[in-house]
Amino acid sequence: MDTIELSQHISRRFNEDLERVRAQVLSMGGLIEQQLAKAVSALVEGDSTLGEAVARDDFEVNRMEVSIDEECSRILATRAPAASDLRLIVAIIKAITDLERMGDECEKIGYIASRLATQERPADKYREIKHLGRIVQSMVHDSLDAFARIDAEAALKVARQDRLVDEEYEAIQRQAITFMMEDPRNIRRALDVMWVVRALERIGDHAKNICEYVIFMVCGKDIRHVRLEDVETELAQRGVKN
Amino acid sequence: MLRNPLEDWGSALWRVALVAVLGALVGLFVGHLWWGIAGSLAIELVRQLANLNNFLDWLHHRNRRDPPDSSGSWGDAVSLVSRLHRRKQFHKQRLLQMFRELRRSTASMPDGVVALNADREILWFNRRTAELLGLRRKLDFGISLASLVRVPEFASYLGKGDFSESLRVHPRIGEPTCLEFQGVPYGERQLFLLVRDVTRQEQLETMRKDFVANASHELRSPLTVIAGYLDTLSHESELPHELRAPIQEMRRQSERMTAIVSDLLELSRLESTSEPMVGQSIDVAALLTDLRRDLLARDGTKHEIIVSIESPARIVGDAGQVHSAFWNLVDNASKYAPAGGKIMLRWWVDELGGHFAVSDTGPGISPEHLPRLTERFYRVDPSRARDLGGSGLGLAIVRHVLQRHGAELNIQSEEGRGSAFTCHFSRARLKS
Repeated sequence: MDTIELSQHISRRFNEDLERVRAQVLSMGGLIEQQLAKAVSALVEGDSTLGEAVARDDFEVNRMEVSIDEECSRILATRAPAASDLRLIVAIIKAITDLERMGDECEKIGYIASRLATQERPADKYREIKHLGRIVQSMVHDSLDAFARIDAEAALKVARQDRLVDEEYEAIQRQAITFMMEDPRNIRRALDVMWVVRALERIGDHAKNICEYVIFMVCGKDIRHVRLEDVETELAQRGVKN
Repeated sequence: MLRNPLEDWGSALWRVALVAVLGALVGLFVGHLWWGIAGSLAIELVRQLANLNNFLDWLHHRNRRDPPDSSGSWGDAVSLVSRLHRRKQFHKQRLLQMFRELRRSTASMPDGVVALNADREILWFNRRTAELLGLRRKLDFGISLASLVRVPEFASYLGKGDFSESLRVHPRIGEPTCLEFQGVPYGERQLFLLVRDVTRQEQLETMRKDFVANASHELRSPLTVIAGYLDTLSHESELPHELRAPIQEMRRQSERMTAIVSDLLELSRLESTSEPMVGQSIDVAALLTDLRRDLLARDGTKHEIIVSIESPARIVGDAGQVHSAFWNLVDNASKYAPAGGKIMLRWWVDELGGHFAVSDTGPGISPEHLPRLTERFYRVDPSRARDLGGSGLGLAIVRHVLQRHGAELNIQSEEGRGSAFTCHFSRARLKS
């Protein structure tokens, strides 16, 4: 009798540990979402204080990454998880790296935003960046939702949006090149804008990675470097609807 | 109706005995007594088994089929079970109906409601919540709410466990949507969370704040021009004598207006910054000494000013704001204390935190005015206050500054004896 209670007790504690670390990852994700939104709005509104605040607050993201990482190592060492628990821990360890990179990209955008705020803003008021920013924000949001719900179907849907981001990226790049050819005085700002767009595109990639980890968690199948169409057929065979 | 089970059992035994006797009679008749008894009992057994089979068959399909016709104990069993079954159906229907009513009524509520367990996982939510927070019915039950509503302020609100106040957040930055959360604890550490869409109110409030800020800002430049000309005019030596007094008065009033406008601007600045401020360490002792010096420089030795600094502790906060709050309190005291009266500034620290008190020997304030004293432009005695030239915004500024520092303002006053304004700072705000 005692041993059964003990083992239940242990597994309950273990579950709590897993739940806590998962909640931490998502709260880190929430911080990233906020940082991203602030960074984009700092750039679009030309708010240098907000941009500086974003760049300053990145340390909080880094701190969370370190603490979650330690927690994961502790769970691996003391609980020796197996099967889906192990997949969860592995996915978390990978996801926080991506989140931390997202944080760095946000920091970069914030920094550039505070610098661009001092210059005259272009006539279109960074409309394209706003648009791209919205797509990337919704990708990050949806990928974290998929992570919270462990929903492979939703994750796949987000991963497919990455193409949209790539197309936007191409379009803005072409536009920036036109600006630079029109007037060489635009080059400096256009280059800065390209950095921002590049950072946003990278954030989209990281969001896609998180979706891949979600699919890995659900199916135990690594889908990195695999064409999405193949993943879809694979998932369909496993009974996950698209 | 059902018979007494004991009686029933007796009659069943009698029946078996009767069958056996009948069998025995038939057996005797054909010359095989035992075969006759065995045969009759076997027929009875088959009959009972058939009844049992009927009964079971009906139990399996009791919702669709009528109960079988049986006599004796089987009939009783059938009627008992069918009665139980009907009663259960009835209660089930009633519960189901109540549940549907409940669900319909909560679905039509204009606000969102979420029920959370002790671990703050979602137990249930109504339709409005799903719209407001982007939750999915059924799928999201059992998931921690903070994992889906990932606004950092929201997680800390849930984690804090203090639901005396509501929380306003913008779930998506850059979009006007604003939600208000109010937790209502129930049961054992469970929580009801009410979610309201306050976007419209928030927008109206922003418009009001913007209006005040813009209006005061726009008023400032013309005022500066007017004040400038009046200043020059009042120093003009060739000014006709009869114009001297009016010009002096105009100058005084324009100064007052400038003070009001700059106080309004300061207030709207305090209101618009919701960001937690970056803490500087403020030397209270030096601050009080400065205040005393400024007051002496302005009023001379009109009042006796006593400064008592009982602790070297410092406050962590915005130095400019704290200075302006303290100065407003001291300025008020100097206005209301009569000439030759006393003004006492005191700073002390106890286990509750740090306290700054300004007391004066002025006319005091009657109790009915105290709750409304920090409202904008609230005057205890309108005619008197205007003579003193205050803007009517001083205490509102004090209250805002203290709010931003997590501090409280306490006013004690007795008519005819004087007033004491005390600012209480929590220990977390102190630095030794």
